[in-house]
Amino acid sequence: MIPISYWRNRRSYTALMGSRCRACGAEYFPPVRVCRKCKSRDIEPREMPRKGTLITYTKLTEPAEEFGKQTPVYLGLIELSNGVKLVSTLADVSESELNEGAPVSMVIRRWTEEGPTGIIYYGYKFKVDAAYSMS
Amino acid sequence: MRKVAILGATMTKFGKLTQGLDELLLEPSLTAIESSKLSEKDLDLLYISNMLGGELTKQVSLGTMLADELGVKIGADRIENGPAAGASAIKDAFIAIKSGLFDLVLVAGAEKMTHMATEVISEYISYMLHPVERMSGATLPSLGAMLARLYMKQYGVTSEDLAMIAVKNHKNALNNPYAHLQKMVTVDNLLHSNEMEKINPMVADPLRRFDISPISDGGAAVVLAELEVAKKYTDLPVTIEGFGQATDSLALHERPVPTDINAVKEASKQAFKMSGISPDQIDVAELHDAFTILELVESEDAGFFEKGTAHKMVREGQTEIGGKLPINTSGGLKARGHPLGATGLSQVVELVWQLRGEARGRQVPGATYGFSVNLGGFGSNAVSLILKRGD
Repeated sequence: MIPISYWRNRRSYTALMGSRCRACGAEYFPPVRVCRKCKSRDIEPREMPRKGTLITYTKLTEPAEEFGKQTPVYLGLIELSNGVKLVSTLADVSESELNEGAPVSMVIRRWTEEGPTGIIYYGYKFKVDAAYSMS
Repeated sequence: MRKVAILGATMTKFGKLTQGLDELLLEPSLTAIESSKLSEKDLDLLYISNMLGGELTKQVSLGTMLADELGVKIGADRIENGPAAGASAIKDAFIAIKSGLFDLVLVAGAEKMTHMATEVISEYISYMLHPVERMSGATLPSLGAMLARLYMKQYGVTSEDLAMIAVKNHKNALNNPYAHLQKMVTVDNLLHSNEMEKINPMVADPLRRFDISPISDGGAAVVLAELEVAKKYTDLPVTIEGFGQATDSLALHERPVPTDINAVKEASKQAFKMSGISPDQIDVAELHDAFTILELVESEDAGFFEKGTAHKMVREGQTEIGGKLPINTSGGLKARGHPLGATGLSQVVELVWQLRGEARGRQVPGATYGFSVNLGGFGSNAVSLILKRGD
């Protein structure tokens, strides 16, 4: 079941909208209301960079029900170029490319859908860069 | 200063059971009250630990339900802290008694799970993750897998090391008639046999089926009492010497070192401080091995072993019964089973049996201090408890 918060959070899911603390400059994804570092509440929206590197990954053969059609699901822990980390599904995976430190970029892909005639939910996934795949 | 003791402590057998959620709460409660030599009317307060009653069995207000079934009209709440609800409920009962407001408190926990399909359970359990993690397809095992991959690489831990933990916990469960999985396994069965892919398939690489706790039904109940009151009913009180609880970022990706479970470090440090004892005084420990990798990491972060050395202790057999620190003598979540809301209580039940010398075929001789850690979320909430044999 897709939580209703998908719609409120859609800018995060489709544009990597996070936040930045105006007081100390710390950046966050997903966005925060209170800075974890300096506790300031002076926070502004900030899009995250769409490039990063793969820290580690897993191949999940028993995903949650709503992602079952995509089995196996590859998930990665990714560090974006600004140092912020996130967990994301990996798209178009060729297992030989899944190396720690592989450069990755954000793409928009189908996450799941509400049955054969229902709403389709889209969001970010990450993909190993083509240049790296070739090398 | 008031002290808190445990009187009756018991559990149902864990496994695929015919009882419903209400019976899984009521049966161990009746046994715990009876074995405490109490009657229902002596109780001052009750707490329920349960995670997914509403989602899986369409029943909430479980505190009221149990009070009603026991025929009492005392205060009753359901405590929800993911799979750490059990230890959280014990903590709340401890505080209630310590405060001086209540003398006798019942804590009952249960979960009914096996009537639902695995992927449905997987989804409901993932509700405790950060919404952004969950929306991008993460499940608990997938986060455990990424932690495992990082940890194994950093400290030279192998899949054999992880399998040895499952083998040990299964071996312990053979002597625990309450355990869900009572089946001897060997590292060779799990990793080097022709049937490996059938009996132990990969779930979230590098974690295989036997690295992951099962889906179980089960219930457990514990009666807590102020120590002087407890002494009227038993010659063998077990005291709660301390607890600790801490949280960490809800999302794994926000932790600076993803292989550290800081909530366990902080909760355990608090528990040892309150108890006034040190980790080397603990005789038996129940850790939250929802995944084999977690038993390793928690045994370090709770303060028993140096970071990166726990797998060596496992290889030496130091965490087996007879070793330096027997861990998960009950079989742990892996083999005793993991009915979410009952798990933290079943850890305490095992420690009580060990400290009273009632653990039969799996007894740690002369155990005086017991330790448990119960995790809620993926390392985002930890509750540690320290118990002592009362003399």
